[in-house]
Amino acid sequence: MASMTCDGRPTREINAEIKRLLAEGHAEIVVKNPAARHNLAVGVVQPCTLIFEGSVGYYCGGMIDGPHVEIKGSAGWGLAESMMNGRVVVHGNAGNAAAAAIRGGSVIIHGDAAARAGIAIKGGVVLIEGNCGYMAGFMGQKGVLVVCGDAGEAFADSMYETICFVGGRADDLGNDAVVATPTDADVTFLSELMVRHGVKKHVKEFKKIVSGRKLWNFDKREWKTWSEAL
Amino acid sequence: MSDNARVLKTSGTFTPEVIEDIQAKADLGRYRIRGFGALRERRWPTFDDLTFLPCTLTRIPLEGYREKCSTKTVLGAGCAKPIELDIPIMITGMSWGALSFNAKTALAKGAAKVGSSNTTGDGGMLQAERDHSKMLIYEVLPSRYGINIHHLRQADGIELTIGQGAKPGTGGLLLGSKVSPTIAGQRDLPAGVDQRSPARHPDFLGPDDMIIKIEELREATDHKVPIFVKMGATRVFDDVKLAAKAGADVIVVDGMEGGTGASPEILQEHTGIPTLAAVCEARAALEDVGLYGKIQLIIAGGIRNGVDAAKAMALGADAIYIGTAALMALNCNKPVFVEDYKALGTEPYHCHHCHTGRCPVGITTQDPELMKRLPIDEAAERVANLLKAMTLEIQILARSCGKSDVHDLEPEDLRAFSLEASMICGIPLVGTRHVFGGGPGWKKEETH
Repeated sequence: MASMTCDGRPTREINAEIKRLLAEGHAEIVVKNPAARHNLAVGVVQPCTLIFEGSVGYYCGGMIDGPHVEIKGSAGWGLAESMMNGRVVVHGNAGNAAAAAIRGGSVIIHGDAAARAGIAIKGGVVLIEGNCGYMAGFMGQKGVLVVCGDAGEAFADSMYETICFVGGRADDLGNDAVVATPTDADVTFLSELMVRHGVKKHVKEFKKIVSGRKLWNFDKREWKTWSEAL
Repeated sequence: MSDNARVLKTSGTFTPEVIEDIQAKADLGRYRIRGFGALRERRWPTFDDLTFLPCTLTRIPLEGYREKCSTKTVLGAGCAKPIELDIPIMITGMSWGALSFNAKTALAKGAAKVGSSNTTGDGGMLQAERDHSKMLIYEVLPSRYGINIHHLRQADGIELTIGQGAKPGTGGLLLGSKVSPTIAGQRDLPAGVDQRSPARHPDFLGPDDMIIKIEELREATDHKVPIFVKMGATRVFDDVKLAAKAGADVIVVDGMEGGTGASPEILQEHTGIPTLAAVCEARAALEDVGLYGKIQLIIAGGIRNGVDAAKAMALGADAIYIGTAALMALNCNKPVFVEDYKALGTEPYHCHHCHTGRCPVGITTQDPELMKRLPIDEAAERVANLLKAMTLEIQILARSCGKSDVHDLEPEDLRAFSLEASMICGIPLVGTRHVFGGGPGWKKEETH
């Protein structure tokens, strides 16, 4: 395991140091005092473990493919955005647009997530142990979004095939979001997910939210829905 | 007047076109969607309102056969790996989805033949496009369809797209008829859905956030390749300065004459500002912040030929994007397969039915049978020929104006035919020595 510090160093130098250590064969790197710098660990495309001992700024773990990134603090906007694969774990809270447009892997937020978590996800799993802000899951294409706490306004708005689960309140659903009945496979999936990430939440409390598919193709008979969507 | 010589009176307000539009919407129950771009008569100043002033006695022209006129174009000159092109005409971003595999591949091959670039689009990178490109610009769009770090790193430049000229402030549109299983797989969507891209990026909102986004793109590409910011032309003077402040190496401004594969018709006809005005505002903005000549400016939107391109370059553009013109080189609107145009309710030279997916010439379709009508190598040759012809047109104008480099064309080489064009461009009206307005600001002291 290698260790490095961010003290007095700009983002470019920190990321270059991470890449240098990885090239030297270190599979696990502890990064001390990130001090909420933006764009840390962007574009890392090899299996490794990166542990940030503190909070990070925007786009931490953005566009990665393969690493396990652990943040022992909170994260700014766009956490792990466009990630291909890997795992990003935040012990604190996450800012807006956490896990935006991810295509695979998992994003685990042990605190709360702000607005638009899991926006436009194209695959993967997003697990929020706390609450999430407004419009989480907006335009979700594929993948799974799990919110153990309460969902904010317009939850799961205008989705394609993303499947959402909410353990707390979900009384303000977005356009074309409908409540479905969890299947046995859903319950198994949630149970395993909770155990794997150390989240204590009774899975039978979860509501399942999916797309009603009324916005997938225009239909003038659905004017009321489309008047807000077009 | 005899009984059989009646004069039909037509409303100037409710013209036949307006009546047809009302009745179409009465049937549809929504706004009308189509492709192509603005169709209405251009009553605004265009590049046709300008003329070049070649050399006579005050300037010395260059000989066409003997004297060189460079067309080499460098974008992102300050980057570790700048984009070096042999010509200043580039192919703009058009998605694989809106366009067929054959069309995208032919554009890549055609551009590469003449040392130019092409651009991905709102559907991610097509591997064949990369394989056949000399230079490939990778677009990062609000939808993030097909976003892939490995593709990003294969690109020679990254274009962060905020909007496009045909429909600024809105996202892309791909009707279900074109979302084939292949396209759906590429975009992580269900096949057959009417797919509307978001208008905003999912993970940033304003220009201050964009500073961080651009840094992210640089980190993802090891600070090597140029970062473009592309915008539809609206408040260009302010938007260009904000993009410059955010750290763009290259700024793309796409005027309202720009094309689209599908969009609400009203956006194509009634939003944005003309390309002529856009280039003038963009140059003035870069001059205002002391970055003209340091940040490169690409102009797009309805550029038809080397004349439009040369005028845009004289006004301040370093390079030109073409989209619709390149599709026409592929055969868009050519009078072949005429019955298929008629089946769409249109005819060659009038077709704007890109949105239907039934393109008679195999360009804007995902139908394998229609696609066969566009043999890739022949189509690529035509694209290359158009790019060559446009470059020669720019060169002949530049030489006649005494320039040994097409990038040396300048506002002083132009005069305006109309008062409006003079005011927009800051160029004297023909027959006068007066500058009547703002524009790029040459000879500001003469402004009246």
